[in-house]
Amino acid sequence: MPVTRLADTGVADDVVAQACAGDESAREAIYAALAPATLTLIRRMVGQRPLCEDIFQDTMMALYERLPQFRREAPLGAWLRQIAINRCLAYLRSPWQRARMCLEAPGLSVAPDAQLVTPAFRSDAIDVERALATLTPTARAVVWMYEVEGYSHEEIAREFGRSVSFSKSQLARAHARMRAWLDPQENRPSCTMI
Amino acid sequence: MHDDLEQRRTLAQLLRGLPQETAPPYGFREFQRRARRRAAGVRGVSVGQLLAASVLVALGIVAVSLRLAGPREHPLPVVSQSATADAPARAAATAPDTGSDALERLLASLPREPAVARVGERAAVIGLEDRIAQVDDLLSAARSSHAQPARVQKLQEERTRLVGALLQVRYAETLADASR
Repeated sequence: MPVTRLADTGVADDVVAQACAGDESAREAIYAALAPATLTLIRRMVGQRPLCEDIFQDTMMALYERLPQFRREAPLGAWLRQIAINRCLAYLRSPWQRARMCLEAPGLSVAPDAQLVTPAFRSDAIDVERALATLTPTARAVVWMYEVEGYSHEEIAREFGRSVSFSKSQLARAHARMRAWLDPQENRPSCTMI
Repeated sequence: MHDDLEQRRTLAQLLRGLPQETAPPYGFREFQRRARRRAAGVRGVSVGQLLAASVLVALGIVAVSLRLAGPREHPLPVVSQSATADAPARAAATAPDTGSDALERLLASLPREPAVARVGERAAVIGLEDRIAQVDDLLSAARSSHAQPARVQKLQEERTRLVGALLQVRYAETLADASR
């Protein structure tokens, strides 16, 4: 099943209203509708499974706490996506994660993080997952937000608290790296006959 | 340029075509159970923090009162005019540092450090212990070289302050460990 954008996932208004009123079955229906796409988004951005579950739990708890504030101007999934992305970026910006990223010098790790790879049926999907896993967490988050979630460079820059050129350069480098992973022939030096 | 754009488009399509998680990591009941546990944990931490804060305030009051009461209870030895020139230095050097001693006794009465410590707390404890060791070295050097009494006094005051800070950190650590 290809990625369903969380932002496009909606829930019927009456179910949201019932959930706001404390109806457990309505809350469970919202959980069933939004949880898989939320977990997918968090996994692509953060990577490590136990950490993803932690951020997922935080995100879903925040959803139910803030549900009465939901104004129904966009699908509920779009609203939840913002909460999930804020949680993921808060983790990526945390001093602990920054220290870890400094230790793992970018460009040195060629082997992808096995935990990032979802068991897939198609071999090209496995390749793309592995290529994605070779990126730094920041680059991976930028790629995912731009290519799949549809964020603009301006929006990504705002979310990261950085400049637009930060977003553009992260994306360009990530693309180059992923292309090199997917098509190693491209990076091989050409032979010239003299 | 065209190739580059085409490749980027293909890559984006491949990313969007990646498989999705087909189920949540756990069911709704488990989610609720974890939410309740987390909420209880937050409440426990806030009670622990309140307790730690009140104990720190109490310790601060004790430290200030010890500092104020110290000189009255243990006056520095009176040195006669006929004493030799280096006698005041020796007197100050040998005078018991009552504030620091009392704090050290309190510190020794605390339970041993927990097996699992937070990095921040551990760094604070190590930093303070290092600084106390440095002040001890300076105090020993000052005493052996018969330094000015004012300098020895200043070093003792600094030591008392550092031991007080260490006591506060260790006490907070003990409370946090107990509330976990």
